Amino acid sequence: MDDVLESRTRELAEELWRREPGAWHHPFVALGRRSLGSLDQRPALRSALFRFIDVAPACRGPRERGAHLRAFLREVEDDRVPALLRPLRARSAPTPLLALYGLGTGPATALIARQFIAGRSVSAATRNLRLMWRQGQSFALDLLGEATVTEAEAEAYFERCAETLRTLSEVTSGWTAQPLLDGDQHGALPRANLSIKLTALTPMLRPLAPELGAGDAARRLRPLLRLARDAHAHVHLDMEDYDSRETLLMALEEVLSGREFEDGPSVGVVVQAYLRDAEESLERVIGSAALADRSPPPTIRLVKGAYWDHERVVATQRGWEPPVWGEKRQSDACFERLSRRLIEVRGAVRPAIATHNLRSLAHAAAFLEQRGGDRGEIEFQVLRGLGDEIAAGLGRLGYRVRVYTPIGDLVAGMAYLVRRLLENSSSQGFLLRQRHHSLEELLEAPG
Amino acid sequence: MSFRNHPLLELRRAEVRDRLTEALGALDRELPLRPEVVLAGKGAAGDDRASSDPCEPDREVARLRWADAEEAERALELALESEWPRRPLGSRAGVLERAAALLVERRDRLAALIVREVGKPWEDADAEVCEAIDFLRLYAEAAGAAAGELAHAPGERNVLRLRPRGPTAVISPWNFPLSIPCGMVAAALVMGNPVLFKPAEQSPACGWELVRVLLDAGADPAALAFLPGAAELGRWLVAEPRVATIAFTGSAAVGLEIQRRAHAAEGQRQIKRIVAELGGKNCVLVDSDVDLDEAVPAIVRSAYGYAGQKCSAAARALVHEAIADRLVDRLSGAVELLRVGPAGDFATEVPALIDTDAMSRYRGYADLCEDAELARAPAPEGGQFVTPLLVDGDRLAEDSPVLREEIFGPLLTVERVRDLDHAAARVAALPQALTAGIFCRQPDRIERLVELLPAGVVYVDRAITGAMVARQPFGGNRLSGTGARAGGRDYVRHFADEQVVSTNVVRHGVVL
Repeated sequence: MDDVLESRTRELAEELWRREPGAWHHPFVALGRRSLGSLDQRPALRSALFRFIDVAPACRGPRERGAHLRAFLREVEDDRVPALLRPLRARSAPTPLLALYGLGTGPATALIARQFIAGRSVSAATRNLRLMWRQGQSFALDLLGEATVTEAEAEAYFERCAETLRTLSEVTSGWTAQPLLDGDQHGALPRANLSIKLTALTPMLRPLAPELGAGDAARRLRPLLRLARDAHAHVHLDMEDYDSRETLLMALEEVLSGREFEDGPSVGVVVQAYLRDAEESLERVIGSAALADRSPPPTIRLVKGAYWDHERVVATQRGWEPPVWGEKRQSDACFERLSRRLIEVRGAVRPAIATHNLRSLAHAAAFLEQRGGDRGEIEFQVLRGLGDEIAAGLGRLGYRVRVYTPIGDLVAGMAYLVRRLLENSSSQGFLLRQRHHSLEELLEAPG
Repeated sequence: MSFRNHPLLELRRAEVRDRLTEALGALDRELPLRPEVVLAGKGAAGDDRASSDPCEPDREVARLRWADAEEAERALELALESEWPRRPLGSRAGVLERAAALLVERRDRLAALIVREVGKPWEDADAEVCEAIDFLRLYAEAAGAAAGELAHAPGERNVLRLRPRGPTAVISPWNFPLSIPCGMVAAALVMGNPVLFKPAEQSPACGWELVRVLLDAGADPAALAFLPGAAELGRWLVAEPRVATIAFTGSAAVGLEIQRRAHAAEGQRQIKRIVAELGGKNCVLVDSDVDLDEAVPAIVRSAYGYAGQKCSAAARALVHEAIADRLVDRLSGAVELLRVGPAGDFATEVPALIDTDAMSRYRGYADLCEDAELARAPAPEGGQFVTPLLVDGDRLAEDSPVLREEIFGPLLTVERVRDLDHAAARVAALPQALTAGIFCRQPDRIERLVELLPAGVVYVDRAITGAMVARQPFGGNRLSGTGARAGGRDYVRHFADEQVVSTNVVRHGVVL
């Protein structure tokens, strides 16, 4: 790594760091974060509480919620349980007590969820979206939902996507102009931006027969792309676990290989840096005939990846080498390599750097400068509820920030929520390290 | 406790699938295979019998003849004279290790053969080869440690030794044509017992490949006879007084018949030991708090994988009434999407049934469900394909055979219950107790249900098929088996007699 780039990376990171702390103000958020952080020292309690949060929305009423909470807490050693929750552990905890705790935990779960989920529906989230826009942040909407295992569920998800694409353009058309958010070196940027889960668009996902799911998903993807083109909206295909990656890329290639969509809509894909074959994957996407020479060019969102534990478990149980790197620093190093590659090809694609890692994003910013790029030539993406301070800091430095914003109800959103909470409280997770480590440690070069 | 399961093939990678498709093509060019009756390592071919591809019945997989009575008699004499019981344990275990290595080398071809001869889809076929490898390695490892320690008093030395029991008849089923006989034969051999192995009529080629692997690995030819044949041969083996142990996996009806016949012969010099793994009527309990996103695919896999032709397959789902409508709705949708087709197609989830008898039995049960059908998946015309069904158990008579008998086909019934205690009571009323599933997210309730369920293996929040060697030792209680745990460390003990040697080590009042 060259020294100039390294020292500029540190300068930019320090600048962001200095601008950031002011945003850690909201007392509830701060409290929530502190308690999540402290769970790192108490893994049994963390597991109990997360399993409870996970099941809470599926319980029928307060009494049942209380009974679940008690059962989980009884598996934790007494002195590890917060005093507030201890009475519940008693063997003879009476029904009214269960109900009392159940009553309290319902709203508590909802409150936690609200931090990460913008609303039940697009219309419920509109106010939030407009507020973000005024603060100089654009959005990428994600429709939370149950897994798709039936034809009817795929249809329902399709309808939600279609409806969202229609509403979003209407809603956003009246917003005031924001030059940084409204365009880049390639031209206009759609305000309406929807992330689609391919696995929700088809119940036919079969890792052993990717063509099956790809064909079925393509059938529903085409009308959505038509809608998006007419409504000037961006459609982004979210990447999920490794089992679904081939299906997704096949579907995308199938749909875009014809001429129908060569002039739009704007589309995007994701590359996950935690995969050992991330570089190949990026080259496949960049070199793909389906994505090349599109106007507007495709957005490529670079992420670390959110299914690390899942991939390790799936692979280890079957005796496979996990497809993900074994160590966080390897993912970090890969992320830096890929972000440099993406920035180099920014004449042909729109790079989106999606991370909360201070060093990773400073590195991308520094490399862009070194290549003589303007700040508006890439965008940064963060998750709602997790990257708010980073978003604010980046915004002040003149970078375009897009906030990944899930909407949907609690039961459906639970899988997403639990993953975010785990991220927020694990020692591997960046946010916690960010609080417990010095800036110097945070900025150490990976690899 | 260092045992590690052999890695499955990573079939989600296209290059691995291509490799298997090639192996299948190569196998097809060899068909029909010519399994031989094997005595003293020497084979005898013939051509009056055949096995065929269930998914394409015109394709002959093997052509052979059955062993005759004379050969069976000769095999038993050879077994009784064999030197195998006197081979040191380490040497016998070494044979198992080498056989495991040969299976690893031949895994693609063997998986292809399982696909063809019993119509098992790739993922399960590959898992079966791995299970066979695991059995060999686990039993080789467990045999040395099986005896265990005894307590001592001053002045005495107590040793527990394990002795070979004598000729072992292995009678195996077609649904795991490689791994189940492999486990039974390997356990018998490693404990020093000669084996007379009768494979299922439907899967002689898989059995023959297993025998070749073991002989290539150095098993004593006199101690391993391969006797393809029908029920008559099985009955002879069971009743024969010189047979010491009977290892059987199959239906409860046959298992109970074996129990009756085994001890009836005149001239028996020992009480035969029967290691029997029988069927089940396996139930899945679904509570009101479950995550259907996880439960639905797991239940579908448990009930319809390999067309329900696994003894661990789910047959009944008993569902809390508060969530039953949602579950039935989603299950129905998922069942409608099941892919019924040839086993060699990587997209296939439900292959053809094993033979025409199995088809007519299945159709008999399906007819009983005519007015209770909730969903079905389309099946190809012709061949031995049948229509997978989801059935409303509440609309069947309480004593309907559909709710009580093992169907061994792609049919799942759903019943509503007021709560899971009621469900557990219904399950406990069944005579079989092989596997059971609980979907529930409240730890104390799960604990209570586990206590109420008599099943040999209880799965919580996961599919109820796919037991792994050493991780989920497999076997049933009640009428589902004699209690031996295939894939458990203690399994090999069933194939040995115990001998306690207590030596006085006091001489002249001194411990010497």
